[in-house]
Amino acid sequence: MSRPPVFAGWRAVVLHRPDEGTDRLARQLSLLGLTACVQWSALDLAATPADLILVDADQGWDGLFPWEAGRTPVPIVALLQSEAPGRIAWALDQGATAVIAKPIAASAVYPALVLAAAVHAERRSNAARIGQLEERVRLRPLVHAAVRTIEDARGLDEAEAYRALRRTAMRRRLTLEQVAAEILAGVAPLPEVG
Amino acid sequence: MRQAFRVGILYSTAGPYWAMGRDCRDGAELAIAEINDDASLPVSIEPVFGDPAGEPKRYLEEARAMLRDAGCRQIVGTITSLARKEVIPLVEKHDGLLWYVCNYEGFEANENVIYTGACPNQHLIPLFEQLLPGRGRRAYLLGANYVWGWEMNRLARELLAQSGGEVLGERYLPLEDTEVERIVADIEARRPDLVLNNLIGPSSYAFLKAFAALGARDPAFRPENCPVVSCDLTECELGEIGPSAVGQYSTASYFDSLDLPENRTFKQKVAGRFGASRRVSAFFEGAYTAVRTLAEAAAAAGTDDPVAVRSILHAGTYATPHGVLRIDPRTNHAALPFHLGRINADGGFDVVASRPAIAADPYLTGPRGSIDRPALRVVS
Repeated sequence: MSRPPVFAGWRAVVLHRPDEGTDRLARQLSLLGLTACVQWSALDLAATPADLILVDADQGWDGLFPWEAGRTPVPIVALLQSEAPGRIAWALDQGATAVIAKPIAASAVYPALVLAAAVHAERRSNAARIGQLEERVRLRPLVHAAVRTIEDARGLDEAEAYRALRRTAMRRRLTLEQVAAEILAGVAPLPEVG
Repeated sequence: MRQAFRVGILYSTAGPYWAMGRDCRDGAELAIAEINDDASLPVSIEPVFGDPAGEPKRYLEEARAMLRDAGCRQIVGTITSLARKEVIPLVEKHDGLLWYVCNYEGFEANENVIYTGACPNQHLIPLFEQLLPGRGRRAYLLGANYVWGWEMNRLARELLAQSGGEVLGERYLPLEDTEVERIVADIEARRPDLVLNNLIGPSSYAFLKAFAALGARDPAFRPENCPVVSCDLTECELGEIGPSAVGQYSTASYFDSLDLPENRTFKQKVAGRFGASRRVSAFFEGAYTAVRTLAEAAAAAGTDDPVAVRSILHAGTYATPHGVLRIDPRTNHAALPFHLGRINADGGFDVVASRPAIAADPYLTGPRGSIDRPALRVVS
C-alpha cells in the first residue's frame, strides 16, 4: 500500500482572493501541519517559498506562475467552482494534479493534497526517466560504432564485442554510452578479450 | 422562563453494536433528566430519539427527521465511522452540530462536528508506547471489515515498522461474523507477542472466547504471555464476553473504576437511576458528558445556534466525570486523558497506566509516538 506523505512542515501558498473559503482552507491546512499563506497576486517563489500551491482556477490567469505552463516545480491543486471546460483546461495546463470543489469542504482538502503530491512525484520521476532514456537513444550510434571498432580490432562477432563493451562499462562503473565515447575518442583502451 | 432546546439523540439499541448504543442512550438520558430536573438552569432539553438499529441508511432518515422535521440543531449520536460519515453531509447542509463521543481512527476535523472521543494519538500511539517495550513487537492485527479496522491496522503497521516490530498476520471480519477458528489457528501457528484487536461487536466477543480456549490449552497464549489489546472495548460489552476476557487490555479516557472525586459523584447518580450494579462505560460517560456540555454551552450562549455554541465551547472548560474537558478550537476535538485498563474478574477494568490529557492530533502531524526501538545486542 502506498503511504500518504506527512505534510508537517510543508509551506502552502493559496493563490485566491481571501474570503470565508480561504479561511476554512487555511485552517484545515494548519491541522494537516502545513503553514499557509493566502495571496491574490502573481507568485514570487523567492518572496513566498512554496512546497505546494492551491490556486483559484475560476479566476486564475496566465502569468500567475513564474514558470512556463506545465513546468511546475511543486504540486498544484486547483480550487474550482466553475464547470467551464476552459477553466478546467487552464488548471490542467498549469499542471494541477487534483481539484478541490468550491465551496471548500474541510474533508476534501487532505485527499486532494495526497493525490496532488503523489501524481506530481510520479510525473517528476517519469520525466527524469524519460530524459535518461532519450539521452541513451541519442547516444545509441556511439555504442554501435564502438561495437564495430571492437569487432574489427579483436576479430569478434557483434554479440561478443557488445558483451566485451558491457563488461568494461560495468567494471568501470560507467554507462555503456560513456565507455563507447571514450573508446571512439581513443581516450580508453579497447577491451581485452577473454 | 426556561428555554427548551430540541436535541437529537441518535443511537442504535439493536443490531450488532447495540450494547454500545444502549450505553450511549442511557448516558444521554441521565444527563437530560438531570438538566430538566435542575430548575436553576436557564435551559431544558427536549430529546428527539432516533434508533436506526445499526442500519446505515436509517441513520440518514432519522437524522433528516431530526434536523428538518423536528427542528433540532444539535445531534448527539452515531457510533461507527460509517454512520458518522453518513450523517455529516446532512448536518452540514442544515448547519447543525453533531456530537461524536466514540474513539475513532482520526483523519477528520469537521467544523460541524464536536469530537469528544479519542483519535489515534490519544489511544493507539500511547498504547503501543506503553506495551511494546515490555511485551514484544511481533504483533497480529485483527480488524472489523470497515474503515475503523483498516485504518487502525494501517497505522499499527506503520508504528510497528518504525519501532523495529513485525506484523505476523492481519485479518478482517464483518461485525456479525463469528467464525474465528481459522484466525485463532493462524495465531497459534505464528505465535505473536500480542494481538491488536480492532474487531467490533459479535466477532470480537467470539474471538476473545476462542482465544481464551486456546490459552487454556497452551499457556503461551494466556494474557500474561500474549495479551489481546483493544482501543475500544468497554465495560458495556464485558457481560457479553463473560470470564474469557479477564486479563486482556483496552484503552479509554474513562473507566468505571477511575478513582476521581468527580467519578464517585457521577457513579452515585448512575446508581440512583440504573441500580448499583450498573457498570459505566466510556460510551455511557461520553454521551452523558456531551449532553451536559451541550446544555451548559447553550445556556451560556442563550441559544442552541451551532456557531454560538461552538464558540462558547472553544473558550471554556467543562467539568466531567473523567476530569476537565477542553475542546480545541483548531480541531473541534477534546483533549483527553489516556488510561490503559486490564479486565478484571468483576466485569470492570483495573487501571494499570494513565497519562494526563493529550491534545488531539487527528491528522497525526506530530511525531508518531516515541516507541523506543529495541536496544541492539552485541552478538559474538
